[in-house]
Amino acid sequence: MDAVTYPNKKVSEYVTENFVPLRIGHDEQPYADQFLVKWTPKLYVLDYKGAAHHDALGFFPPDELVAFLHLGRAKMAFNNDLFEDAVKLFEKLLLESPASGSAPEAVFLHGVSNFKKNHEAAPLKEVYRRLKLEYSQTSWAQRGFPYWNL
Amino acid sequence: MPEAISWQTKMDEALAKAEQQSRPVLLDFFNPG
Repeated sequence: MDAVTYPNKKVSEYVTENFVPLRIGHDEQPYADQFLVKWTPKLYVLDYKGAAHHDALGFFPPDELVAFLHLGRAKMAFNNDLFEDAVKLFEKLLLESPASGSAPEAVFLHGVSNFKKNHEAAPLKEVYRRLKLEYSQTSWAQRGFPYWNL
Repeated sequence: MPEAISWQTKMDEALAKAEQQSRPVLLDFFNPG
């Protein structure tokens, strides 16, 4: 991460503009136990209360890290019932990083956020359609299966 | 060269800054080797 990803201009700008970056040693207590750190790099997106909204283990190339962090921001909005904000963040991720590893989860949660916002079934059916069409090889396509006949 | 990421190193200070700036925290557990 230090050799390739964090020095990348897109990454450093995205992190600096949107996050408070915090680095802690993998064995620093009490956090290593609290966050179950067994291998590095181990990343979390936290809110200001210290609650985790998104996490990952292992290396990310620059574009994938930006998409991962964007998904973390969107999930934090989702988890805080800010569905309007969440929808916008998921849409931006899907527009800018549709081929990223974070995209299928964004499709799923984008549909759920729209449902939570409007209480209409159509966005959930769109989740199934889009995941089947564009991300059929991912586990997220299976998670959208129950919405096929809404 | 782009500006390097300016990492916080203390959890409490990072969380306080996150509240003040209405931003999430990117927490990176790393192995300094």
